[in-house]
Amino acid sequence: MKYSSQRVAYWFFAVCMLLFSLQLVYGFILGFAHMGYDGLHELIPFNVARSTHTNLLVMWLLSGFMGAAYYIVPEEADREIISVRWAYIQLIAFVVVGVTAIIGFHFQWWEGRKFLEIPRPLDYLVVVDVLLFIGLIGGTIWKGKRYTTTSIVLFFGLLTAALLYLPGMIETDHQTHDSYWRWWVVHLWVEGVWELIMGAIMSFLLIKLTGVDREIIEKWLYIIVGFTFLSGILGTGHHYYYIGTPKYWLMIGGIFSALEPIAFFGMAIYAIAMAKKGGKNPTNKTALLWTLGTAIMSFVGAGLLGFAHTLPQVNMYTHGTLVTAMHGHLAFWGAYACLILAIITYSMPLLTGRKLQDSSINIFAFWTSNIGMVSMTVAFGIAGIAQVYLERKMGLDFLHVQKEIEIHFFGLVLAASLFTMGIVAFVYNFVRFGSPVGRLNEVE
Amino acid sequence: MLSKSQAKAFFVVGTTAFSLIFIGLTIDTFQRIPEQTNQKEMTLDVVRGKHLFDKSNCMGCHTILGEGAYYAPELTKVFERRGEVFIKEILKAPQSMYPGQRKMTKYNFNEQEINDLTAFLRWIGTLDLNGFPPEPDLVKSASPTAIGSTTMEDTIVNSKNRPTVFNQMCVACHSLGGQGGQVGPALDSIGSTRDIIYLTKWLKDPMQIKSNSAMPKLPLSEEDIIELAAFLSKLKGGEK
Repeated sequence: MKYSSQRVAYWFFAVCMLLFSLQLVYGFILGFAHMGYDGLHELIPFNVARSTHTNLLVMWLLSGFMGAAYYIVPEEADREIISVRWAYIQLIAFVVVGVTAIIGFHFQWWEGRKFLEIPRPLDYLVVVDVLLFIGLIGGTIWKGKRYTTTSIVLFFGLLTAALLYLPGMIETDHQTHDSYWRWWVVHLWVEGVWELIMGAIMSFLLIKLTGVDREIIEKWLYIIVGFTFLSGILGTGHHYYYIGTPKYWLMIGGIFSALEPIAFFGMAIYAIAMAKKGGKNPTNKTALLWTLGTAIMSFVGAGLLGFAHTLPQVNMYTHGTLVTAMHGHLAFWGAYACLILAIITYSMPLLTGRKLQDSSINIFAFWTSNIGMVSMTVAFGIAGIAQVYLERKMGLDFLHVQKEIEIHFFGLVLAASLFTMGIVAFVYNFVRFGSPVGRLNEVE
Repeated sequence: MLSKSQAKAFFVVGTTAFSLIFIGLTIDTFQRIPEQTNQKEMTLDVVRGKHLFDKSNCMGCHTILGEGAYYAPELTKVFERRGEVFIKEILKAPQSMYPGQRKMTKYNFNEQEINDLTAFLRWIGTLDLNGFPPEPDLVKSASPTAIGSTTMEDTIVNSKNRPTVFNQMCVACHSLGGQGGQVGPALDSIGSTRDIIYLTKWLKDPMQIKSNSAMPKLPLSEEDIIELAAFLSKLKGGEK
């Protein structure tokens, strides 16, 4: 850590830990409901738990991105954040809006549009808060002593993520228009601009952890994010197969989403190659482990499993089934959750001055959570494929099919318990690090 | 090998080009949506229904156009599958129809809201969705209770012997010839244990005959009951 203002990141990461833990609780509510235990129905019906589960994910990932930006940008731009006070205000406002939204969901204050349930008045506050954040990060880079590819890509990713929130706020009376714009936000975030943020954070981590020359790492960063957009933008078409949009999307969406795994494959190969290339023995092995975990799991979850049901011929049957949940869980885990846990693992020893990163608890957290998440994916996959065959292929009644696949949700809950053990260990280790009192200019 | 500036050019040019193509396609798509989605029938009640659908977060459990959560049935073709009467009844009393099953939130919709939601669901069923939802293709006599439509003329389910109300309402919980719900008992041989008079009384109000019956009093007209009782009393097993 070179600048005292980087300490802001700690508090964003602390918010991550809190919201992530809460997200798991709601995940269990959903899992048990699918098993037939819906005892909380009167208090927290399924749609409340579901909206809370997904929005908590979005919130803690955004909090993680923001924390990562506040940590990375001063170091890349070679100066303090332009205003630490405003950074804290921005954090507090973010938390207040987020918590209000979550509480609101429990009183049916929402929009009921998948992933974008946050009600309209709060949307405006989100926009203001994100503008403030972009201003602080942009200002820091602008006034900084140097421009690096990593910080520019990170900034461009954050800025476009903020801009792409706007199509989701377009008023419409038409279900198809509604869906069309919703995917501009959701798809172009997770399979577009968030990958810029991901690529930039990964390149920062690889530069720091492997000691490979910045020029080489950043060159590959451009190529990979280039491929991301090459496939990802028109890949949005895989959401436009069956919502009342023209048939040409079947072809465009099919072809370009088939190319999407290439970017993830590139990312995986790049991370592994850089890790091998860097002969330097990293002082933070676990952070490198999480970084490689990100690269590999995002390739499997987002790349391969996404491809598994993205072709129109397959998606015709899997669209709107648990197969989507299978892909969604491993994709978000691999591409974004692991990444944020990686930057947290990297920065915590520097922020707090305590060297607990390679503790056995943290290594246990890595393996347990990854094995748990892969097992969850398998459980979702079996349930999803069974659902596709029984309901879509054989024509059995929906509820009948759900009864048949209840047992796989028992498997899911078991796997999720393993996953939770890993995350609890990670959070415990985070708490053990203590408060951000790390010395400046510490050698990394 | 590419230099860093070439890599940067690849990123900038590629991203700009594909963004422009995407925007072009978006403009074209919006010009085609009105025809493909039967927009002329998107009346005011449909629009009100759509907003109520969002406000109630129906997507938090159901899917529509295949989008949403996977806890409750796909609703794109529900109007065709269950019919107006069933839909209105379940909107009025969400937990009335599937005793002991997954619960739907009680929204306390008023008459107009129910009409709006029903209008929305009717309209959504008329969209051209490029073939979605697919017909179940592994069984010839697939049931319309699943996800598909009821266009398969040659199936038992649609045979002329079956009253429409049976195919829309009864099969939600009961099966016949192996097709239908599993909530209540199969009806294949109901006619061999119950006669037409008993069935008529039962359909009027199950609770009158069996006070702890799980079956709700259905929103059936006098004609429906006569037709159903006659049909059910003829089911003596072996209907395949």
